[in-house]
Amino acid sequence: MKTRNKLLLLGLSLLCAVTVAFGQARKRGELNLFAWSEYIPQAVLDGFTRETGIRVNYETYSSGEEMLARLMARRARFDLIQPPDYIAEALIKNGQLLPIDRSRLSNFGNLMPEFLNMPHDPEQQFTIPYMVGTVGIVVNTERVTEPVRGYADLFSERHAGRIVVVDDGRELATAALYTLGKSINDFSPANLAAIRPVLAEWFSRVKLFDSDSPKTALLSGDVDLGLVWGGEAALLWQENKKFHYVLPEEGAHMFVDLLAIPRRARNVENAHLFIDYILRPEVSKLISDEFPYTNPNRAARKLLSPEQLANPASYPPGDRKFDTFRYLGEDIAEAIDKMMTDLKNARR
Amino acid sequence: MQGLPGTLPPNPHARPAGAWGWWLLAPMLAWLALFVVAPMAILLVYSFGSRGALGVVELGFSLENYERIADPIYLRIFGRSIGYAALTTLLCVVIGFPAAWFIARRSPEWRGRLLLLVMVPFWTSFLIRTYAWIAILRSEGLLNAVLKSSGVVPHVLPAPLDLLYTPTAVVIGLVYVYLPFVILPVYASAEKLDGTLLEAAQDLGAGPLRVFREVIVPLTWPGIAAGMMLVFVPAIGMFAVTDLMGGARVSMIGNVIHNQFTRALNFPFGAALGVVFTLLFVLSYALLLWLGRRRDETAKAR
Repeated sequence: MKTRNKLLLLGLSLLCAVTVAFGQARKRGELNLFAWSEYIPQAVLDGFTRETGIRVNYETYSSGEEMLARLMARRARFDLIQPPDYIAEALIKNGQLLPIDRSRLSNFGNLMPEFLNMPHDPEQQFTIPYMVGTVGIVVNTERVTEPVRGYADLFSERHAGRIVVVDDGRELATAALYTLGKSINDFSPANLAAIRPVLAEWFSRVKLFDSDSPKTALLSGDVDLGLVWGGEAALLWQENKKFHYVLPEEGAHMFVDLLAIPRRARNVENAHLFIDYILRPEVSKLISDEFPYTNPNRAARKLLSPEQLANPASYPPGDRKFDTFRYLGEDIAEAIDKMMTDLKNARR
Repeated sequence: MQGLPGTLPPNPHARPAGAWGWWLLAPMLAWLALFVVAPMAILLVYSFGSRGALGVVELGFSLENYERIADPIYLRIFGRSIGYAALTTLLCVVIGFPAAWFIARRSPEWRGRLLLLVMVPFWTSFLIRTYAWIAILRSEGLLNAVLKSSGVVPHVLPAPLDLLYTPTAVVIGLVYVYLPFVILPVYASAEKLDGTLLEAAQDLGAGPLRVFREVIVPLTWPGIAAGMMLVFVPAIGMFAVTDLMGGARVSMIGNVIHNQFTRALNFPFGAALGVVFTLLFVLSYALLLWLGRRRDETAKAR
């Protein structure tokens, strides 16, 4: 899964690097981009290179923690990274990001104010929202006729062996905290102990854990329900309207993936150019076409089709409030990972 | 892997390598130093360090990471990984030995064709082949379609097989991936085996079982041993098959190490697991050598 994406993207980026290297005599520098796998359409990278002559070296990761570890551990200099909100918060607090010069971003005004000045970057000094999403429940309504409103319904006994969930400890632990009515950013020892039996019961009913493409098992009919990223649910809905997206009644959180410039970046100018390019409505629309998460770009939303805007997984109806993740420190990340390992292992 | 020391006599024509020999070896030595010795050294240094803010590795000398491995959670996973790898090795030998023997006993031109068939899967990416297995095993996949259309499912089996995302699927995946690694070395040993020895054994009154046990197995042992090593060692650390075909439900030690670097932000602990893991390899290698040597000695003693 991770491996597949990585290999695929490695191949693509190699191909891209080679073609650009040969086709581009008037090279105007480069941009070392470090981003999520399967999140930036190739057409966007190609378009940027065609227009500016800047070569984009694209490296990928498949979890926020992986990005953080590689950014901090390596001497490699990335010019632009795409951290999720809570990882960006940690980077800002540790002085690892350069401030973004808004005067160089002519398209900054396209962003919707509700996605600015959020808790991870209150002054909006260091980050630019890329895409936003929720984590929720997908139900194949052809196979599941009873109502599914929240985590308790999803993981009920009758759905045992028919569930896919993202393979992400923090997400699953968060769902358990919601179920117990606790704050999702409070992983105190008492809360960790409280969610453990809940997760143990859930895990005994999960058919598979897949973060990269949870939609695949739903599409093929191997499972009938899932706890997945909103963008995956949106793709399922595009494919077949039998896949309903449900925001759990116990509570749901929203994630914001950002663009940011790390402290050791060499091509700061190019990073700004790329951010401004992404903020263009027609470019941002390309991203929405391929990865239908919630687009924080108002001008881009105007270009989307009514069908795209009506997708409940991309643009949940109503004005429900969502929580966001905060950075909780390495000890918590490790405690969650250890619990996940232990619970998966105890299953049989 | 054919020349496992202790299983073959030293070459009587060998001469000490001259300066030329070392020059020819230089690329290989450089490769080893750069891609085996150096990473292992980094792993060893990291494993004594500790995790700092934002997952930065702080070097030092602490045995904490090794103490943590003694946690029952991780010991159980080590145990399970060894169990899976051992089962995979056993199945690979049971399936691979007859196949290799069969190929080795064909005419030379058929041998070439059959060997080619064994190697054809390597022309496709391992991941693509694993995805093919997912398509075969899934609940509405090829296997169940065949079972249904042939009438096996309602008549012989009550329901379609639910194999994908189970430990069985993991073992199927592992055996599939590593089978050629048993067939090829066993074939190499079996092909060299002089057929007249089998005839001689039979003439002297040995039954088929005795011929197998006392002639065939000892003479193909180098191939079997090499095949077992080639399967057992990488199978312990495999994480892609458990993720893809096991639905990430079954953790093997490879998955745990992978997680330390990608999720838990703990490089030093991952490194310590890697070091212990490498030691396990060395141990299992030593065990196989010892088995081989003992076999040689008992053979000589007769």
